[in-house]
Amino acid sequence: MVTELKYEISQNAYIKLVLHALKHKTTAVNGVLLGRVNPQKENVVEILDSVPLFHSNLALLPPLEIALIMVEEHYGSEGLGIVGYFHANERFDDAELGILAKNIGDHICRYFPQAALLLLDNRKLEALPKGKDQSPMMQLYIRDASKNWKLVGPDAGSRLLIKEPAANIVLSDYIASEKWQDVVDFDDHLDDIKKDWLNPEFLK
Amino acid sequence: MVSKTEETQLNRLENQVDNGGGGVWEYLCLVRKLNVRRSEKVLKHGLSILNDHKKRSALGHEEWTLYEQVAIAAMDCQCLDVAKDCIKVLQKKFPESKRVGRLEGMLLEAKGSWAEAEKVYSSLLEDNPLDQVVHKRKVAMAKAQGNISGAIEWLNKYLEIFMADHDAWRELAEIYVSLQMYKQAAFCYEELILSQSTVPLYHLAYADVLYTIGGLENLQTAKKYYASTIDLTGGKNTRALLGICLCTSAIAQLSKGRNKEDKESPELHTLAATALEKDYKQKAADKLGLLTSALKSLKI
Repeated sequence: MVTELKYEISQNAYIKLVLHALKHKTTAVNGVLLGRVNPQKENVVEILDSVPLFHSNLALLPPLEIALIMVEEHYGSEGLGIVGYFHANERFDDAELGILAKNIGDHICRYFPQAALLLLDNRKLEALPKGKDQSPMMQLYIRDASKNWKLVGPDAGSRLLIKEPAANIVLSDYIASEKWQDVVDFDDHLDDIKKDWLNPEFLK
Repeated sequence: MVSKTEETQLNRLENQVDNGGGGVWEYLCLVRKLNVRRSEKVLKHGLSILNDHKKRSALGHEEWTLYEQVAIAAMDCQCLDVAKDCIKVLQKKFPESKRVGRLEGMLLEAKGSWAEAEKVYSSLLEDNPLDQVVHKRKVAMAKAQGNISGAIEWLNKYLEIFMADHDAWRELAEIYVSLQMYKQAAFCYEELILSQSTVPLYHLAYADVLYTIGGLENLQTAKKYYASTIDLTGGKNTRALLGICLCTSAIAQLSKGRNKEDKESPELHTLAATALEKDYKQKAADKLGLLTSALKSLKI
């Protein structure tokens, strides 16, 4: 019997992506997920870090190509690869996984077939301060056997987990203190190379 | 669209205002002038003036402009009560005003009352079919409701009348890019470059779009436009420098097996690479290694 693929995302990787989306409320944003297959559990993909990429013109190739080259180069030397892609739609009401996300996902699958697509769940995020929800504010999409991206159903909470259970509490705190102002993405770096897309001091 | 100097000036002022160092009115005027979207700050600091009787009267007749600016910022932040109050003040001062009428329409939009907003705008357009702001509100409404094809249709109609509206061409281009309709986006940038040939942003965006479409001819043209961007920005544009390197690599890959040499500017990519490395060494030394590997993988 084939064991189902599970994805475990670290608190830092998770929070960085959500805060990036909150920094740019009026546009779509995206990012890449870095990680590896769990060396002890083949069916678990560990998402250990994330890099916020762009907040404008997401569908243009040149900045994306450069970003992927540099990201892979940096994380490759740490033994990590690109294991997925994160996307947040421009509009609050838009809960659809768009073509761009699927295309980028397909590209990542060529090098890492178990790649995951994460889509920010705006409604869940809106309800965050009110609830005690420990599950991630994201929808998980995986490719099925016919290479179509499928939403992993309402039990996604069991297939996409945040490693640290209190992550949403930390996230709520950061939102309240407007920590999203400090997130640097690749767009920011290209506009001013002094800005570091690795966000080294960000969540320390 | 804002230049780096303008942005630095704006951020400096914003910082000053945030830290209680004064200059609120100057900041608000600059935001208006540059047409940037800093709604939370505008709301906060604008209200600090409007709620203070002395500060408000010191503005003289500019008070009304501030009410309008704060109303719009409030709507953007979903503080609809504040917006309503500001609009009421303006309605009292300028009854029958079309400009205030637009704000009423925007408030309906902010509430999500699309059909009613549509009615307000249609009636405003009946009285003045050439009201650019109202036309653009209709595009914005279509976008907000997820009716992207409607937004495109309306924006195209708008541009048939107001073909010199550069912001509108840019908006259309960006909508096309978001839908991966690159050829149509390219057309928009061509219009922009034709009418404003010295704005580097258009050259850069055009090059990015051409590269994305791909194919040898487009890559060669893209390279030319990255080059002109570098020209127009005194060599300081990282995206354009990287663009040159990407184009050179892609062209070389496509020309493999053919004896086509890049006769145009064989040293251009070396110059670009050198400029990038110098820049990174100076400002982002910890990333220099990554840049060098990236350039190597592009076979530059």
